[in-house]
Amino acid sequence: MNKDISLVVNGEARYINVPADKTLLDMIREDLNLKGTKKGCDAGDCGACTVLLDAEPVNSCLVLAVEAANKEVTTIEGLAKGGELHPIQAAFIKHGAVQCGFCTPGMVLAAKAILDKNPNPSVEEIKEGIAGNFCRCTGYKKIVDAVLASGRNIQG
Amino acid sequence: MRTFDHIDVYSIAEACTTLREYQGRARLNAGGSDLLTVLKGDFLADYPEAVINLKTISGMDYIREDGEYLRIGTLTRLTDLVSSPLLKEKYPVLSEAAYTVATPQIRNVATLGGNLCQDTRCWYYRYPRSIGGPVQCLRKGSGPCLAIKGDNRYHAIMGGKKCFAVCPSDMAVALAALDGKVIIVGPEGERRVEVTDFYHPTGNELAKDEVVREIEIPIKRTPTQQSFRKFTLRKPIDFAIVSSATVITVAQGICTDARIVLGAVAPAPVRAKAAEELLIGKPITEETDTAAAEKALVGAKPLSKNEYKIQIAKTLVKQAILGVTD
Repeated sequence: MNKDISLVVNGEARYINVPADKTLLDMIREDLNLKGTKKGCDAGDCGACTVLLDAEPVNSCLVLAVEAANKEVTTIEGLAKGGELHPIQAAFIKHGAVQCGFCTPGMVLAAKAILDKNPNPSVEEIKEGIAGNFCRCTGYKKIVDAVLASGRNIQG
Repeated sequence: MRTFDHIDVYSIAEACTTLREYQGRARLNAGGSDLLTVLKGDFLADYPEAVINLKTISGMDYIREDGEYLRIGTLTRLTDLVSSPLLKEKYPVLSEAAYTVATPQIRNVATLGGNLCQDTRCWYYRYPRSIGGPVQCLRKGSGPCLAIKGDNRYHAIMGGKKCFAVCPSDMAVALAALDGKVIIVGPEGERRVEVTDFYHPTGNELAKDEVVREIEIPIKRTPTQQSFRKFTLRKPIDFAIVSSATVITVAQGICTDARIVLGAVAPAPVRAKAAEELLIGKPITEETDTAAAEKALVGAKPLSKNEYKIQIAKTLVKQAILGVTD
């Protein structure tokens, strides 16, 4: 069974005919060709597929594409504007918070969700906010540093 | 996932009718964080013909006190249970339990009703098709429980009857400590069951055309000390090895009422009534606490590889009663 759905992806209205059994993750990668959203465990454990759904972080592998109808999705491709990296992305580079890079898109979106709610989070709040994102390289220290720094940046 | 019909419903009544039309070959979907892993694993005895989306029903996410009861709508997300000022103030055992369920991403989709109705985590039951499953077992309707002779480190240490899978729901444990009832809607109307009676040895209380509409909790008139403790291997996202919820009333230094509930030790949350009785009428001290924790585990019958859960359970009960952090 297929359904026609409309949704907003990175600020742009999209109309897609999608099978009922397709995840939001697979639709983003295969139908919208946005490969920044990563498929890690495909079971909700690793957080690599994190996107913002109506501004909240979710595992796109655990959402049916048809159930994202009429919602707003932000993927990592939606953050940079006019060729300028988002401050969180810039902070990740500056603080060495990217190693292999596989967790980075999900991690940056989890960080955005933290900072959108609270531009000046504590280390503990950052750790809670990224608790659903596995990173196997960095040991998280530099990621937390980057989120702390971008919080201050965003505040000006 | 293999294909299925996908049906958005707009009322609980429509959900029941649709369930009836599919004669048990449909599954309800709320947040999806459990159902999608079930469908991806493709281990069910019969793969559903249809998935019924409940999220299109409006007005089913609420947390409100109403005369005698605290009422929580079935589609209330775990995120909203964690952040509710009312729960934090008067029912912290619920917000603490909701926080421990899983990651922020999962709490943003997972619902209270879905948490209660999620399928078991038994690794024999869930053995995925992609690596040679599914395997038949008692819960699927044929054969013995494979955990009895197999690797049963996460299985029941009490209350197992033929199937030794444990109830995976953390919310059920906290709700049982608050005397919560599950309000179930079916074609013939509504009925209420105690949370502890909601779980059966191989499934739950829901008939094939019934839906959980609400959770009802009697409002406590006196302040209580509430606590939820959960032992897991991966802290932000894991099912309990053991959990414990306690709701204790203390007046003039004496315990006047107690609910002590153990989770992930049996097919349903277990009220440790002997431990509750031991505490009532006594002050909460290291001695009474230790005695209650011992009492809570009397009668436990571990399987070959899960005796360790008894000690963890005792420790969690002790911590929960004293309200100490780990």
